[in-house]
Amino acid sequence: MIFELVKLQFLKSFRSTSFAKSAMANIFLGFIVLVLLGYVFGAGIFLPKIIELLAEGEDPIIVINSYLIYFFLFEFMYRYFLQKLPVLDLESLLHLPIGKGKIISILLARSFISAMSLIPVLLFLPSAFQIIEPIYGTSGAIFWIGSIVFTSYTLHWFMLWFKQRFEDGLIGIIVVFAILALGAGSSYMGWFNLGEITKPIFDLALSSPIPMLVLAILMIGTFILCRRFYLENAYLEDLAEEDEIRFVGQSIGFFTRFGLAGELANLEWKLIIRHKKSRTYLMLSAFFLLYGLIFYTNPVYQSEDGGISAIFIFVGVFITGIFMIQYGQQFLSWNSGNFDFFLNRKDGVEALVKGKYLLFISISMICFLASIPYVYFGWNILLIHLATFLFNIGILIHVIIYLALWKPKPMDLNKGAMFNYEGVGAAQFLIIIPMMAGPYLIYLPFSLLFNDYVGLLALGISGIIGILSFKPLSKIIINRINSNRYEISSSFRQES
Amino acid sequence: MIQVNELKKQYKETVVLDVDHLEIPNSECFGLVGNNGAGKTTLFRIMLDLVRATSGTVTIEGQDVSKSEDWKAKTGAYLDEHMLLTYLTPDEYFETLRKIYGMSEADLGVHLEKFRELFNDEIIGKKKYIRDLSKGNLKKVGIAAAMMGNPEVVFLDEPFENLDPSSQIRLKKLILSEKENSQITFLISSHDLNHVTEICDRIVLLEKGKIINDLRDKSAMMSELDAYFTG
Repeated sequence: MIFELVKLQFLKSFRSTSFAKSAMANIFLGFIVLVLLGYVFGAGIFLPKIIELLAEGEDPIIVINSYLIYFFLFEFMYRYFLQKLPVLDLESLLHLPIGKGKIISILLARSFISAMSLIPVLLFLPSAFQIIEPIYGTSGAIFWIGSIVFTSYTLHWFMLWFKQRFEDGLIGIIVVFAILALGAGSSYMGWFNLGEITKPIFDLALSSPIPMLVLAILMIGTFILCRRFYLENAYLEDLAEEDEIRFVGQSIGFFTRFGLAGELANLEWKLIIRHKKSRTYLMLSAFFLLYGLIFYTNPVYQSEDGGISAIFIFVGVFITGIFMIQYGQQFLSWNSGNFDFFLNRKDGVEALVKGKYLLFISISMICFLASIPYVYFGWNILLIHLATFLFNIGILIHVIIYLALWKPKPMDLNKGAMFNYEGVGAAQFLIIIPMMAGPYLIYLPFSLLFNDYVGLLALGISGIIGILSFKPLSKIIINRINSNRYEISSSFRQES
Repeated sequence: MIQVNELKKQYKETVVLDVDHLEIPNSECFGLVGNNGAGKTTLFRIMLDLVRATSGTVTIEGQDVSKSEDWKAKTGAYLDEHMLLTYLTPDEYFETLRKIYGMSEADLGVHLEKFRELFNDEIIGKKKYIRDLSKGNLKKVGIAAAMMGNPEVVFLDEPFENLDPSSQIRLKKLILSEKENSQITFLISSHDLNHVTEICDRIVLLEKGKIINDLRDKSAMMSELDAYFTG
């Protein structure tokens, strides 16, 4: 029976629509994951060396032990964002005479098989052998790596419970922010030293099996907590994620001034707010507003002659255009569930496209306005943002949409966005090229021939030209959809 | 015997189901009718322990459905396509169920033979995933699956919906013969009054979560239901 359930899980992942429709994208992603894990392993091998370089003269073991807690805080965050809950397939099994306990156990076990479970092993096992074993012997190395791995796996089960219990609720957000504040308060503000508080646990693990055993018991405890919670909640109503946010996101009055296109922009806005995947994209835009903090403050990127560092153009494009870049990539896929609705109206496609343009431009505008405080780092930044904003809404928007229309794929909006590559095909990878190269094609020649400000001016003017020729440019897009409408519509119905 | 006692389902303030007492004896064909939103599917879901009751109990052969799972071995159900493993082909799905119910291959062959006419050569041996089947064929797969493993009780939600007229008649014949031969207790919800009055010994009328009529007299059923639904 167990074997049968495992086989079903296997078949399910291999036959999921997104897998079959974009096998290439999956192979590519699998490759990326392997490469990333390879990097993690590499980092693990060189970790002792890296620490020697960064903290000269100090004992690398002590350094690792005092920073381990930050690794776990980081792990908490990435698990929160990336870890998927294994509840979705319950519905088709619950009515069969298989014990709920068995089903839940299989689903939980399956959740464990992921790249995330390998990260702590790959990262710390080399150190265990390189620096711990010579001093504390094999048993010390085992106790130490065991403590780390069990802590990580405790987080795994805890997160499965935590996300199912609190996701989308206020408490969940508060806890996540508290964890963030804990890390930041300790490392940046210096209120207390988190590393010093947790260091003794891992120090003790070098010579004694107690921490490893305690953490192993903790892991088993969280597993039992998690399993019991899932078992008690194996009901349809609990599985259907309750969407508190479903009825918020009323119409935005501003859009109504734009007639039918405005109406459609409003529709699109509701679509974004009322689906999980699109909501995540919107939140990402808000996060990327902070992207500048990494670059603008970093002395590495300050050019010596007081001019503008070329990388800032890219940062500006990203900050003011992240939403259209992210969301626009799957331009029509967002409407794959109801594309026929638009085909069925007079001028429906045209209104849909214009509504989307309106929404993208509005959100870009908001991002631009919200990024004004960056002026703190110099007036240059504001100029860069203005130029890249104009470029984004004048030119890049059309380029992204045009490329996104190359074989759009259907997708399910109710699934999370992280590592969900439904609706992603080759086009979505190719979009990166014009996005990265486009602004430089215009900026660099002028910047090299004259100076950086002329480069920015050129970027801005090209954007304004794009805005002025909005009608013909958008017409190209609309005609492209209209001439491909049968193919698009049939691929959205998954007929092909 | 299935017993429902003081069953209540509440979403916040709204009471969607409120059944005082209901008893369904073995081998009865029990029909459930009512307008949209009357609570038919919710009642079935609670009886199958797919949805939690706010209060009250459902027992099948004396077992509280929310306390044990033994009753599942003798209960089959098809409410909607979420109950199917849609990423399998019908053959694979039946094969999986065969293993779950511990049937032999010959048993499965005998079982599917009963459905040959209903399947109309469109289901078995086709290289098509269940998710790609038409709505009618999806329903046929679900019904055949619900009747697997010699169940004593079978729940069917709107079994006639989406079926073509000849399939509807074939399904009706199949249910009647199963009832005759295997003494299965059928619980069927339907909007099709003609079919449901024809096959069911008893029809319960649900309105806004409450049982408002319990019809056992076969000759008067149709006229009473007609009177209710024409308002």
